[in-house]
Amino acid sequence: MRRARRPRVPVLARVAALLVGTALVAACSRGAPAPEIAVFAWSEYVPSEVIDGFTAATGIRVNLETFASNEEMLAKLLSGATRYDVVQPSDYTVEALAREGRLQPIDASRIPNLGNVSPDFLHLPFDPGQRWTIPWMGGAVGIVVDSTKVDPGSIRSFADVFTEAHRGRIVVVDDPREIVSWALATEGLPINDVDEASLAKVEPVLRRWIPLVRVFDSDSPKRALLDGDVDLGVVWSGEGALLLDEDPRFRWILPAGGSHRFVDSLAIPVGARNPEGAHRFLDWVLRPEVSARISAAYPYTNPNLAARRLLSPRALANPASYPPGEAKLEFFRDVGTGAVLVDQLVARIKAGG
Amino acid sequence: MSGAGAASRGSREPGPPGRVARLLLAPLVAWAIAFAVLPTAMLVACSFGRRGTLGGVEPGFSLAAWGRLLDPTVRVVLGRSVAWAGLATIACLVLAVPAAWTIARSAPRRRAWLLAAVVVPFWTSFLVRAYAWVTILKGEGLLNGALLAAGLVSAPIEMLYTPGAVLLGLVHTFLPFAILPVYATAEALDPALVEAASDLGAGPVRTFREVVLPLLGPGIAAAALLVFVPALGLYALNDVLGGGRVDMIGNLVADQFTGAARDWPFGAALSVALLLAFAVAWRLAGRGGSLAASLER
Repeated sequence: MRRARRPRVPVLARVAALLVGTALVAACSRGAPAPEIAVFAWSEYVPSEVIDGFTAATGIRVNLETFASNEEMLAKLLSGATRYDVVQPSDYTVEALAREGRLQPIDASRIPNLGNVSPDFLHLPFDPGQRWTIPWMGGAVGIVVDSTKVDPGSIRSFADVFTEAHRGRIVVVDDPREIVSWALATEGLPINDVDEASLAKVEPVLRRWIPLVRVFDSDSPKRALLDGDVDLGVVWSGEGALLLDEDPRFRWILPAGGSHRFVDSLAIPVGARNPEGAHRFLDWVLRPEVSARISAAYPYTNPNLAARRLLSPRALANPASYPPGEAKLEFFRDVGTGAVLVDQLVARIKAGG
Repeated sequence: MSGAGAASRGSREPGPPGRVARLLLAPLVAWAIAFAVLPTAMLVACSFGRRGTLGGVEPGFSLAAWGRLLDPTVRVVLGRSVAWAGLATIACLVLAVPAAWTIARSAPRRRAWLLAAVVVPFWTSFLVRAYAWVTILKGEGLLNGALLAAGLVSAPIEMLYTPGAVLLGLVHTFLPFAILPVYATAEALDPALVEAASDLGAGPVRTFREVVLPLLGPGIAAAALLVFVPALGLYALNDVLGGGRVDMIGNLVADQFTGAARDWPFGAALSVALLLAFAVAWRLAGRGGSLAASLER
């Protein structure tokens, strides 16, 4: 069956001409660009009210893009497709970026609110001179237990989590470096010495642990706990704090043998279009009332002492956000090619090989 | 068709493309070069590079990434991915063929509604649909709630974060891809052939098996390909519904770029190898298909 031929080409040509025409008009009518900064941050970490408030106060529009891992951020930053003004790397990624000359120094004189930050969060190993970053939020990795299913008193260390009794009832963050560091700590090995020898030592431990896990989830490990799909887990402290806040049946435990501490920071990459705007954004998020808003939405450990004064006593009493006493917490350092070995080992065990 | 007869009727042989034809083709060719040929070439080049410290690739030549393809992990993960994608394809076809046939044979008005029912859910983001399954399947979810309330089970059944949940998600995601091509061939199928088969004494089952199914062949083949290829590469469902416990080949590739390893050359080598495997399979299937067709004649 044949259909009558319609004059297809002229129609298409007309549409194309129209499209090109409008694009040209749009391009020509654009005047001086409004001041703008491109911010590249973790998903679920920057409340929209913080962004809107900044634009209202300064007239600088914020173009917010999000990522789900430090490595995703690195990939996009290095591709150069977008010139970001502010990025939000974690500690060990700051270290790698600074070493490779990818960050520009921060002018502390333009960030008066830096004075609000606790000394505990300044001059840390990944930025000893406080040249490259300002802290956004800190946190740790710890254990959450559903006390209606598991006796919290029975869990003191990572090794207590990964037992046969908890098979199929465990959630952990989906990050090979994390679970390997827990195994290293359990074996009494330093968590930042990652090479073939140290990995060989923890391989038997990981072979026991990994098959016990029901869910690997870095984005929202609290969900499996809230939904009743698992009874305990090893999660970020901010997720733990939200769980404790939501339901008193959850308990937060920092492993006695020590755990991993992290600080997510803000930095200005080399090649930023608007470093001036970036500095103003950095100062904005360190304002006490702004920083307190961030804490309210994402209850990690706020490095901002002036902001902490604005938090509710209930929020400050949350042991996942503000652990009482001295905990043995250590930063991850950049381990270079050790990261490939870690990834290979965990993928092999997960594949059952 | 006889060549002499066609020539004598003066039918036009496809000659070299004219200027207009080339002009019309230009955007397509440019698109293919910009978004298929060049990226693939970059991927191949990347697979022979050296891992950059921050990710990316450093200049230099290395076969290390290709060597790692021999790693048993790759074989196990690839084998499992093929098996799961294959299961999803079979499940989709088993559901799609009767559905497509029924839609094609229904009255036009009804057919439009049925087609909309196939296509409209597809407009929702696939991740939203995946999370909808989480709500249904989770420990304290809708399905467990209903089963408990009905007294059919005494404790929640573990449904979420199982291989079955991933398979369910795959079938749900790709079913429209299977129904539509089969529907297209079913709609074009001459109903007189079916009537002829029944007139000659074939029952409905035999008619379907010996007349309808072979005629739907091209649609079924297209459907199988449209389901299998994307199902093999999909990894998000595995994280959302499978609990990220079992890696699929897509997870392995993605981890090299957005995971802690930052090993772009290995990720690129995996992708290129997968692409080559598809190309070879496609060639072999094409040969097999044409061979079967020539044998039938």
